[in-house]
Amino acid sequence: MSTLTKLSAIPYTGPAPTNRNVYTPTEAPAADARGEAILAALNLSALTQERGQDLPTFIVDRAEIINVLRALHDHASLQFTLPLELFAVDYPNREQRFDVVYQLYSLANNERVRLKVRLADGETLATSSGVYQAYDWFEREIFDMFGIRFDGHPNLRRILTHENFQGHALRKDYDPAQRWLLTDAGIATIHPKIAPQFVQEEEDSDFERVTLNLGPSHPATHGTLRIVTTLDGETIVGADCEIGYLHRCFEKMSETHTYQQVIPYTDRLNYCSAIINNVGYCMTVEKMLGVTAPERAQHVRLILSEFYRISDHIICIGTNLVDMGALTNFWWLFQPREEIIALAESCSGARLLPSYLRIGGLAVDVPSDFLANAQRIVNMLPRYIDDVEALVMKNRIFRDRVEGVGVISREDAINFGFTGPCLRATGVPFDVRKSNPYLGYETYDWDVPVAEGGDTFARFLVRFEEMRQSLRILQQAIDRGLPPGPVMVDNPYVALPPKAKVYNEMESLIYHFKLIMHGIQPPVGEAYFQVEGGNGEVGFYIVSDGTKHPYRVRARPPCFPIFEAYSKMITGQTIPDAIAALGSLNIIAGELDR
Amino acid sequence: MTFSERLYLPQVIGGMFRTLKHLTKNLFNIKGLPTISYPEVKRVYSERFRGRHILTSREDGTTRCVACYMCSTACPAECITIEAGEDQRTREKFPVRYDIDLLRCVFCGYCVDACPEDAIYMTRDYEMAIDTRARAVVGLRDLVVPPNFPVGPMGWRPYYGAIEKHGTAGGTGIGQPLRTAPYEDDAPPNPDLYRGA
Repeated sequence: MSTLTKLSAIPYTGPAPTNRNVYTPTEAPAADARGEAILAALNLSALTQERGQDLPTFIVDRAEIINVLRALHDHASLQFTLPLELFAVDYPNREQRFDVVYQLYSLANNERVRLKVRLADGETLATSSGVYQAYDWFEREIFDMFGIRFDGHPNLRRILTHENFQGHALRKDYDPAQRWLLTDAGIATIHPKIAPQFVQEEEDSDFERVTLNLGPSHPATHGTLRIVTTLDGETIVGADCEIGYLHRCFEKMSETHTYQQVIPYTDRLNYCSAIINNVGYCMTVEKMLGVTAPERAQHVRLILSEFYRISDHIICIGTNLVDMGALTNFWWLFQPREEIIALAESCSGARLLPSYLRIGGLAVDVPSDFLANAQRIVNMLPRYIDDVEALVMKNRIFRDRVEGVGVISREDAINFGFTGPCLRATGVPFDVRKSNPYLGYETYDWDVPVAEGGDTFARFLVRFEEMRQSLRILQQAIDRGLPPGPVMVDNPYVALPPKAKVYNEMESLIYHFKLIMHGIQPPVGEAYFQVEGGNGEVGFYIVSDGTKHPYRVRARPPCFPIFEAYSKMITGQTIPDAIAALGSLNIIAGELDR
Repeated sequence: MTFSERLYLPQVIGGMFRTLKHLTKNLFNIKGLPTISYPEVKRVYSERFRGRHILTSREDGTTRCVACYMCSTACPAECITIEAGEDQRTREKFPVRYDIDLLRCVFCGYCVDACPEDAIYMTRDYEMAIDTRARAVVGLRDLVVPPNFPVGPMGWRPYYGAIEKHGTAGGTGIGQPLRTAPYEDDAPPNPDLYRGA
C-alpha cells in the first residue's frame, strides 16, 4: 500500500467534548435585548419572551396567534412583513407536545423574530393564511406531517404524502420504516378553484371549460410537478398545483441518521446547487458546536458556492429558454457549467452531488491546481453569458414571450414569502449574503441586482446580472488566494483524524472509532442558520437533544412558497405563458418536496 | 426597445449571424469541439473520483478488511452488509460476507473515510450497467483485488492529511489530454481483474 511516516503523538489540548451541555448561542444577549424592545413596542399580553435563543423568541398563547401575527405585520416600525418559516416540532413527553414555530423577517429593519405556539395533541390553531398567504401551504404541510388542524384553513388536505397515507410521518411515535401503498382508488380528483374574476364569465363565454393536466412527467416542468388547469378557450381561469411526487422524507430520515450522514442528503435538496445546501447545513451544526471552519475551508466554500450559484442560474436560464424554443442557448451555457462541475469533481470526486463539505471544514484539501482552474472558468464565463444575453435579450420574439408574463406584485411576493432572485425581480434588494453575511461576504465588493416589474423578463435580468456579480466575487476571492493552513478544525470530537495518525496512533484510532460509532453530539438546544441559495434563502433549523441523531432537522425550501404563488401568477394567462413563467421561477422538485 | 429592435428582422438576422459564427468557427476547428465521442473517447476524471469500490488485500493474499463494521455504520444509504467470521488458526476476524448494493449506494465515499484498515478504496470505474437488480449486489468475489494491486490510478482513497492528493479539473477536455478507451495507460477498471478472492 502506501508508505506511511510515523507521526509523533501530539496530545490534544483543545476544548472538551460539548455533549449534553446546554447550547447558548453567542447571539443570545443581543437577541434577548432586542426581544425586550419588541415586547415593549407591541405591548401585548399574549407574548412571553423565551431567553437564550439565537433569535428574539416569544411563546404565544394559542388563541392569540392571529392577533400577534397581525400586530407584527402591521406595526409601524417593526414591519415583519416577510414570512420565512412555519413548521412544527414534536416533543411527545411534554404535556403540550407540539411546538408550532413561526419565523418572520422585517425588510425595513433587517431582523428576524421567532414565535412559538405550544399545542397539546388534538388542539387546533387558527389559520394564519389570511395574514400571510405563504402560510397556506406551510400549514398544509404541518397538517400532513403532524396532524395539527388549522381552523378556517381554505384547503386543509395532505400536501407531501398521498391520500392513502395513514398517520403523520414527522411525529416521533411514527415508525420510519412504515410504508403505504397508493392505489388507484385512493387517488383524488383535483378540481381547480375558478379565480373570482372569471366566475361571472362562465355563462357569457362561447367556450366550454376544459381541464388540462400538466405533469407530473412533463418535459416543461423539469421535475415532478403537477399543475391542473381549467381553461376557457386558451385562458387559464383556474389552476391548482400538486406537489409531493419527489418526497423522500428528508426530515424524517435525518432523525434516524447521524449529523455527518445528513450531508449527502442535503445534496439532494436543491441538486442544481448542492454545495450551497452543504454550506447551510454544516454551518448550522458548526454554530451549535461552537466551532468555526478554518479560513482556508471557508474560502473554498465561498468559491464553490458562487460557482454553484452561477451553475444554478445557468440551468434555470438554459432550460427556461429551451421551453420557449431557443435550444442553442442551452448548449452554449452548458459548456461552462460542465467546467464548473468538473472543478467540483476535481475537489470532491463527484460531479453533481459532491458531498464535499464536512462539519468543521472540508472532506479533503483542494487540488493544487484549484485556483488556476477557477481562474480559467472565471475567464471563460463572461463570453458565454454575453453570447446568450445578446442572442435573446434584444430579440423581440423572446421579449414578447416574457414581458408581462407571470407577473407578481411586490406586495404579493413579500406576502408569499418569496426570497432570492424572484423577490429581487420585484425590486426588493433582499439577499442573505448582504443582510446576514457569512463566509466573509461582507468583505467583498459586489452589488445586489434588482429589477422592477416582477415578470419573467425581470427574473431573467436579475439572474443574468447575478451571474456577473458572482463573477466579481469570484475574481476577488481568487485574487486573494487561498489562505494557508488546514481545511478541517483541530477537534477530534468533530473531525476525523488523518489516516496516517489512525494507522499509527492508539489515541487517534480511538477518536476515529468514537466519531464513527457515536457521531458528533452537539449540545442540547436549537439553532437556525440561513444562506443564500440559488433561488432564495436556504435555512436549516436543527434541534439537538445531545445524542448523535438530530432530534429535528427542518430545511427551509425557497421553492416552496414560490411555487405556492404560481397558480395565482398564471391565472388569466395562456398555457405557453405559464410554461415560460414556470421555468423562470426555477422550481427544483428535490427541494420543493424534500 | 429601440426602433430596430421592434422590427423583428434585424435582431433575428443578428442572432442568425451569431449562430453562424459559432458554426463556421467549429467547422474549421473540429478538434476544439467540446463534445466527446463517448464511448470511443472517455473523460479523464480526477484521482478522487468516487466510482465502484474495491477491497484491498495484504501481501499474503488475505483481505485487509477485519469486519469491524465501521463502513456499514458510516454509510448513510445503509448499502453495506457484513458478516464477520474468525480464522481458527490466527484468531483474526475477517468478513465471510461483504455485500454492497450498488443501487442503494450514493457514492459519498464515507466508507473509505471510515475504514481504519486501508481496506476499501473507490475506483474510477463508473460504468456499472446491469440487467437485473440482483446483479447490483456485489460481494467479496467482485470486490477483492489481488495483493499489490496498483491503487495509484484509483479514485477516492483514505485521506492522509499532509500527503498531497492530485486532481485535475479536466472539464470537457478543451486543452486537456483525452484518454481513449479502454484505459491504456493505467490499471484497467475491468471487472475480471477485481476477482482476486
